[in-house]
Amino acid sequence: MNARRSVAAALSAAALLATAACGGGSSDEQRPANAASPQSFPTEDVTLTMWWWGEQEAPGAKQWLADTVKAYEAKHSNITIKTVLQTTDGLIPSFEAAAAAEQGPDIEYFWGGIYSQQPYWSDSIVPVSDYIPADELSHYTNAALEDTYDGRTLTAPWYVNPQFPVLARTDVLDEHGLQVPTTWDELLNVCDVLSAGGVTTLAGGVKDGWFGGWLYSMLGAQSVASKDDVTAAVRGDQSFADPNHAEWWTRLEETREHGCWNDDINSLELYQAQQRWVDGDAAMTITAGTDAPNFVEKVGADKVTVTTMPTWGDGAYAGKMGTTSQTVGITSWSKYPQVAADFIMFMHTPDRLQAWYDQTGSLPADDRFDMSKVDDPVKKQLFAYAADGAPYLENFIPSALDGKAVFAGVQLVLQGSKSGEEAAADMQAEAERLRRTDRSLVDNFEGWTD
Amino acid sequence: MTTDVASVGPAPRPVRRGLAHRLGPLPWVAPAALAILFVFAYSMFELARQSFQYEDAWVGFENFSLVLSDPLFRTAIWHNTLLLLAVPVLVLLALLVAVMLFETRRGIVAYRAILFLPYILPIPVIGVVFGQLLQLNGALNGTLDGLGLGSLTHDWLGNPQLALWTMGGVIVWKEVGFGIVLFLARMMSLPEDVYESAKLDGAGFFRMHWHVTIPQMRPLVIFYVISEAIVMVSWVFNYVFVMTNGQGGPGTSTVVTELYIYRTAFQDQAPELASAAAVLLFLSTLVLIVGFFRVQRADGGTFGD
Repeated sequence: MNARRSVAAALSAAALLATAACGGGSSDEQRPANAASPQSFPTEDVTLTMWWWGEQEAPGAKQWLADTVKAYEAKHSNITIKTVLQTTDGLIPSFEAAAAAEQGPDIEYFWGGIYSQQPYWSDSIVPVSDYIPADELSHYTNAALEDTYDGRTLTAPWYVNPQFPVLARTDVLDEHGLQVPTTWDELLNVCDVLSAGGVTTLAGGVKDGWFGGWLYSMLGAQSVASKDDVTAAVRGDQSFADPNHAEWWTRLEETREHGCWNDDINSLELYQAQQRWVDGDAAMTITAGTDAPNFVEKVGADKVTVTTMPTWGDGAYAGKMGTTSQTVGITSWSKYPQVAADFIMFMHTPDRLQAWYDQTGSLPADDRFDMSKVDDPVKKQLFAYAADGAPYLENFIPSALDGKAVFAGVQLVLQGSKSGEEAAADMQAEAERLRRTDRSLVDNFEGWTD
Repeated sequence: MTTDVASVGPAPRPVRRGLAHRLGPLPWVAPAALAILFVFAYSMFELARQSFQYEDAWVGFENFSLVLSDPLFRTAIWHNTLLLLAVPVLVLLALLVAVMLFETRRGIVAYRAILFLPYILPIPVIGVVFGQLLQLNGALNGTLDGLGLGSLTHDWLGNPQLALWTMGGVIVWKEVGFGIVLFLARMMSLPEDVYESAKLDGAGFFRMHWHVTIPQMRPLVIFYVISEAIVMVSWVFNYVFVMTNGQGGPGTSTVVTELYIYRTAFQDQAPELASAAAVLLFLSTLVLIVGFFRVQRADGGTFGD
């Protein structure tokens, strides 16, 4: 986006060409079009560091990664890969600190969309498409939707997260003569009946903020025509106070008015609140798509219906689940980006894709994964939702807007100290302020949309 | 001549001794001084440089203007200012408890250890424990309910009107131990005969401590006030971060300046704005430090005597 990047890109290309000319060898079949040519694969000892996240939402990922690293190191005796699991709150700040010092991981985990765009805009990563061939990347799910800028794929999708399934306990609803709600009116009716009976309809926790972003994506997607509406509002071409962007805040306010949530939603973290649902103290909750099968298993599949957020809007995405891929990228300071890319491609080999599914129960972000091997009905349903999913809105707004307007606004609306209308106005005001403070924001978002 | 020389001869010697005396310690402190200079001076220079730049280009005071026009920054400053109200509470509590222990003497070692314990506990531990205790359905409200005091139960950390005060209460709980130990140590070193004289003159408990103890502890109280004021202005990040999962919530109700700087730098990815905010925070802390030295000087530099 700036001269610095162009110079850096030119220097990188020159260095890689020089390296390629100097020789070397590798045994891999998959080779990128440019930099990671067989000649550029190092023969000296190489140590890569990978900072990652995901065990939190896809239990089993840690073991899968350890196995994958082991298999890769067995194949390349001169390569060592160290993996460091990050915390949820620390994932972004740790990387930002590393980026400021230009040292740290060679491979970094990024959530999709804005989380893979921003590091590129700040020169912290190099596009994976510089090292991974286009025909290989074309198999990676959601890469084009979320992780592409100006024709370059920035990060490589790893696994798909259906964002976010609503899990309904039919046993709790049955006790009160209720059905799983599919429309907004039905949901509010369930809330009225259950709250009168002292039962929580929806278990949630917003103390840690993240759940606010989930709710924005699930409710807000129902009234926008496409993700471009959202990026247009970020650029200032639309307003977050316009009805198609603001209406969801009012729906959120209605959930509070109808007593849908647990009364301590503001003092609980999301993961603490989800346990209420497991314990049978709440009829419904919302989980990460990757983790949903585990929750269903804890309660018993016969007592659970996996569904989407009840519909209130008539937009194209009403009744759909969002879809996003969690990704990995290559840092701009990595001395061996070609090795990092090679490892990423190794993560997508058929054996590893199958192992990912077997060990985590979640969907690898690769259309070469053999879906016929999925026999669990819950997973099958989730994967079907993800295949026909809506864009996950939170991934298309700046993280500063997410944190300052969405996270904070949801907390206040659910606590009752702010109305939906006021929260929408706050979000618009914050977007306007961000356009002033982040002086590259509009240009970057224009490049992303184009 | 000889007499003249003798009469003026000794004069330069004290000068030479003085200079040598002054420069003598320099080699000993130079390594540490250089390290401190590098760590602080270099970082301060970098911070200041970054606060005047955007993407490596000089932008003058634009970053400061943007930060000062941010309602969240003003909110954060206001929250730090409100937390300063905890300082007099801390001083009064610490003095009160210290005097009580001083008067009691019995079991003083055990009490002192117990009261000092919160001060040495790591803030993340305190944050996690109080985060659980203060939940709406947590142990504190459960206990209040059990005692028939249900009307006193609140969503201590989930209610934006209460969250900052709750945070202040936790900070007081942790910081007061330092004051107690500090004041008690000073009281124990005060001359006994002063108290005996006061008693002979008929001074009661209140008058004796008001007119004898507290005046003699003035420099120490000032030190405690200033150091706790600095805590409230620029050392509360850990409490807020741990107890609100780094959000400063609900809403913006517990955002403080340090958290604003952290989030701006590492979550919003705007290091230049974070630098400008950090410079402003440094300047405000500097005012407190300068204030401390001025008071100390006006007091004749008696701290520690």
